[in-house]
Amino acid sequence: MAASLLGRRTATLVGLSSLKSFLPIISQSCILQQTASYNPKPLRLNLKDPYIPDRNSEKTPEWQKTDKYDRKLFGRYGYASGVDPVKLWPTPAQLQEVIAEEKEWYPPLEEILQNIAVKQQEKAAKQLAREKLIAANMAKMPKMILDWKKEKQETKRKAKEEKAKKERLLVLARERFGHAVDPRSHKFQEMVAEIEKEEKKRRKLLKRQKRQEEQGLTALSPNRAG
Amino acid sequence: MSASSTVGGKTLDVVKNLPRITLANLRPNPGARQNAKRRGRGMHGGNRSGRGHKGERQRGNRPRLGFEGGQTPFYLIIPKYGYNEGHSRRPQYPPLSLRRLQYLIDVGRVDPSQPIDLTQLVNSRGITIQPLKRDYGVHLVDEGADIFCAKVNLEVQLASEAAIAAVERNGGVITTSYYDPRSLQILIKPVPFFMTGQPLPKRMFPGEDLLLYYTDANNRGYLADLEKIEAARKALAFKYGYTLPNISLETACKMLAERKDPRQIFFGLAPGWVVNMAEKKILKPTDKDLLEYYNS
Repeated sequence: MAASLLGRRTATLVGLSSLKSFLPIISQSCILQQTASYNPKPLRLNLKDPYIPDRNSEKTPEWQKTDKYDRKLFGRYGYASGVDPVKLWPTPAQLQEVIAEEKEWYPPLEEILQNIAVKQQEKAAKQLAREKLIAANMAKMPKMILDWKKEKQETKRKAKEEKAKKERLLVLARERFGHAVDPRSHKFQEMVAEIEKEEKKRRKLLKRQKRQEEQGLTALSPNRAG
Repeated sequence: MSASSTVGGKTLDVVKNLPRITLANLRPNPGARQNAKRRGRGMHGGNRSGRGHKGERQRGNRPRLGFEGGQTPFYLIIPKYGYNEGHSRRPQYPPLSLRRLQYLIDVGRVDPSQPIDLTQLVNSRGITIQPLKRDYGVHLVDEGADIFCAKVNLEVQLASEAAIAAVERNGGVITTSYYDPRSLQILIKPVPFFMTGQPLPKRMFPGEDLLLYYTDANNRGYLADLEKIEAARKALAFKYGYTLPNISLETACKMLAERKDPRQIFFGLAPGWVVNMAEKKILKPTDKDLLEYYNS
């Protein structure tokens, strides 16, 4: 049966050395030497006494009355099964269902290609946007680094000044009181406030002087002109 | 000494007279089998049988591996990350090396005078494909590319560039083609499908993730343009530094030119046909709608 059908190609040509087949040898009849033949499983069909269930009998199980089982019977016994070959294919209604399903789940090739193109475009656009952002940020980078260095220097300088001022005040306090004073003490704080006040006054005075000088200059200049 | 005049002496006579070896007179070699040690017998019967004193150790109900007595175990402390996400659903392609293919051809298990597709490879027991284990076909890898010397018309599902070059250097033809799981099952086991009496289905096109692979001429995809494939063949020959043998001058030209339709599962069988093994007949549909469906 099927075995002979499938085994026909596996004709063995004895006489050629199997080692020579390392290079493909094509003989006149174009049949290559084949040493190991395909040994198909026997089909084990009971063709002499086929079991064909009676559709009308109640004793027949339901699953043996289905179309699928009919197809199987036809596949097994051929026309002897008594199954109409038309039943092997889907009915028009079933075909409509199959077509509808295929339409839903298997879009045409062009549509898939289009989807892929759209997705790739989106991906490329996203990538490009990200690259642009990175480039823009990197362009800003040298200035940002300079700013950061400047700021760092500034804070360092400020801290240094503060420290110097504090030390100066401490020295001043020691000169004034004759001994070292705790910078947290009331005395010291008062002294600092006093010094600041004085400084303010001095600054005010300086300002006034400056203004007076300027006024004097402006007052003088018209006199000179006049 | 024996007076026997034969070469083997007495031994040969003895062997000749012995009965045939059957399962009934075979037994393990002396000393090959050892009885299991019976614990808790004899002098130390009432003792612990070497299992220590009390607890999980003695009773053999140890907790699972990695359990740390109720504390969150180490293997659960490390968070998961998506490296293996969807691993159970990823398509698998068992590898087929050129060395293996050459071996199959050399011992005559595969016939290179016919187009070789998955049916031939599976029938020769060269590979095993399990569609239910998410196998989508076979991946031709370039191991043994230097010894591969057969001229074949090969159809695989994935192929590496060097493998393609090795096949084409010998004047062969290679195609990568996609089979949906259902078609794949039919392709690797045709007879059980034919026995169900169902018409051959259409082979489905690959989805979005695989379509680009099979439309690419560099992969020799079955959906690529033939002209582009020819150009790619030339380019690959240039890259690997070999001259392409002219196929059209060969005697095996017809076999090498054979190519399946994208909707076709077997050579010579169209979708919609029923193959009956009992009658040795092929039944073709005549209904217009059916034909339209199967030919679309």
